[in-house]
Amino acid sequence: MRLNTCSAIIALAREMEEGAAVFYENLAKTSPADAGYFLGLARENRKTATNIERSYYGVITDAIEGSFTFDMAADEYLMDFALPADYRAALARAGEMEDKIIKFYRDAARQSQSLLADIPRVLSLAARKRETRKARLAALGDEGR
Amino acid sequence: MAVLEEPIKGVQVVKNYIDGEWVESRGEVRDVLNPATGQVIGKVPLSTADEVEAAVKAANAAFPEWRSTPPMARVRYLFRLKELLEENFEEISRIQTQEHGKVIDESRGETRRGIENIEVACGIPSLMMGYNLEDVAAGIDEYAISQPMGVFAIIGPYNFPFMVPLWSAPYAVATGNCVIVKPSDEDPISQMKLAELVEEAGFPPGVWNVVNGREEVVSGLLENPGVAGMTFVGSTKIARHIYERCGKAGKRCLANGEAKNFMVIMPDCNVDNTIPALMSSFFGNTGQRCLAGANLVIVGEDDKFYNDFVAKVVVAAARIVVGYGLDQEVQMGPLKGQAKKERVLGYIESGLKAGARLLLDGRRPVVKDGYPDTCFLGPTVLSDVTPGMRIAREEIFGPVMSILRAQDLDEAIALSNASPFGNSAAIFTSSGRSAREFQYRITSGNVGINVGVVAPMAFFPFGGMKDSFFGILHAQGRDMVRFFTDTKVVIQRWF
Repeated sequence: MRLNTCSAIIALAREMEEGAAVFYENLAKTSPADAGYFLGLARENRKTATNIERSYYGVITDAIEGSFTFDMAADEYLMDFALPADYRAALARAGEMEDKIIKFYRDAARQSQSLLADIPRVLSLAARKRETRKARLAALGDEGR
Repeated sequence: MAVLEEPIKGVQVVKNYIDGEWVESRGEVRDVLNPATGQVIGKVPLSTADEVEAAVKAANAAFPEWRSTPPMARVRYLFRLKELLEENFEEISRIQTQEHGKVIDESRGETRRGIENIEVACGIPSLMMGYNLEDVAAGIDEYAISQPMGVFAIIGPYNFPFMVPLWSAPYAVATGNCVIVKPSDEDPISQMKLAELVEEAGFPPGVWNVVNGREEVVSGLLENPGVAGMTFVGSTKIARHIYERCGKAGKRCLANGEAKNFMVIMPDCNVDNTIPALMSSFFGNTGQRCLAGANLVIVGEDDKFYNDFVAKVVVAAARIVVGYGLDQEVQMGPLKGQAKKERVLGYIESGLKAGARLLLDGRRPVVKDGYPDTCFLGPTVLSDVTPGMRIAREEIFGPVMSILRAQDLDEAIALSNASPFGNSAAIFTSSGRSAREFQYRITSGNVGINVGVVAPMAFFPFGGMKDSFFGILHAQGRDMVRFFTDTKVVIQRWF
């Protein structure tokens, strides 16, 4: 499926963030030692989605190329939100998930340069924040709890 | 990705809103169609002369108290309305898609643009201030004050059913006037929703009224001595007629007409960024906007540049997904009605008969998910168009791009300036000199430099020249404040 419109991009961002949030909530239930951290990630996911939507609704106007800016393939960002039973495998899946989300935000930011500045900015910011998260998840995996 | 839920379920009975009451009209009733699905989603009345008179009376009765309400208190109603619009943003946007056909990104853009005008009008306590000078003569001071004039009629078009009335109504009421809005009878439901929020915001009865109908209602408002002025967006023929009648009756008038907008492509433009801007300009809102690109003028004698550029345009246009605007994958919706589609088809035929070459045929579009193609057309691209052809001269108001060539910038500017219309024009270039020349010499009211849809923000006037505009002061921003107020000069001396 092609993602051509701003609306489709924003909707997919919400879907990805919500799917990942549920994944982290489930992970929190199965790993009490790090539950606080994972619940924090879930909250951050939903906050990110809200911020992106807020930016979109704040700057969308009939003058920008909202319906003609993007050309992305949804298949490239498909991810598996099912929680593996093994903790290390779950962290590995979280890492894959974050990679996909980072790629999605980077691609969308790059293609939205002709939109009002807030949209590429908020998408780039979301990608940058995820890099930090990814490093932390990798460290947890290395600790091997 | 799912199709978004429709907010209008069943058939909405559109009522008039007069003197703070929802009133069912006694007039004949017409269907409001969703052009994508063909479903009847509303019934709109053609209001009677008595109902128009009742609205004028109510508005005039409300005027004295409303004008004496402090400006700061008046705009608090607008602040409340803005908040309510934000809360109902998505529903209002989806209504527009259902009643008009535009895609959801465009509807949301329209909602945002409307709200922005309310936000600007909230600055009335500053914007409406007069000016003064002490000692214009010894001991004599002089000052100019702005006063509201009474009742204004606001006539909306079908192509931006929600936004266009908000180019003027917020400024009218913020300056202390009362309004009668007549929405387009083709898509009046978003205006009805707006009036519901006006009511919820607590505006006093009679300040904001809505009367539905067609030209009979407009005529009734024009003839009524209780109406101080009118704003209108529509065809040039009607705009000129309204302007003349307002002039004869001594009413204020702002009337926007048709357009034929030229997009000029210089060989030094940034091609990759220009293409999406052109797609939005020519095919956004299915070409049904007075700022839409109509003629694409490619400058220069370099055949390679011309051929490569045109090929990219055709590839991009051919990829546009056509369908129901509530489907978030869809980039272009239907035309507002079957008659409008037939009209556009007629123009395409006339272009072909006159010798234009069909590079992309949108006459039999692939409509996503198989909606009836009654009102749908795909993007259509015609090359070898010459300035004398009807398709190069007249407003088509559909997703049709006519490609012309010009030897140089001078010729491109001359082509655009020869049009009787002067709504919008744009140049795509990386040369500051070319851009400056274009801006300086082009006879269009809205000029784009590497911008395809030259839609001024709410704090700038919406320009228009020649047969695209009749009036002096334009819609939006400070022009509106002057339009809706009279200047009174006071010279005072105290003995």
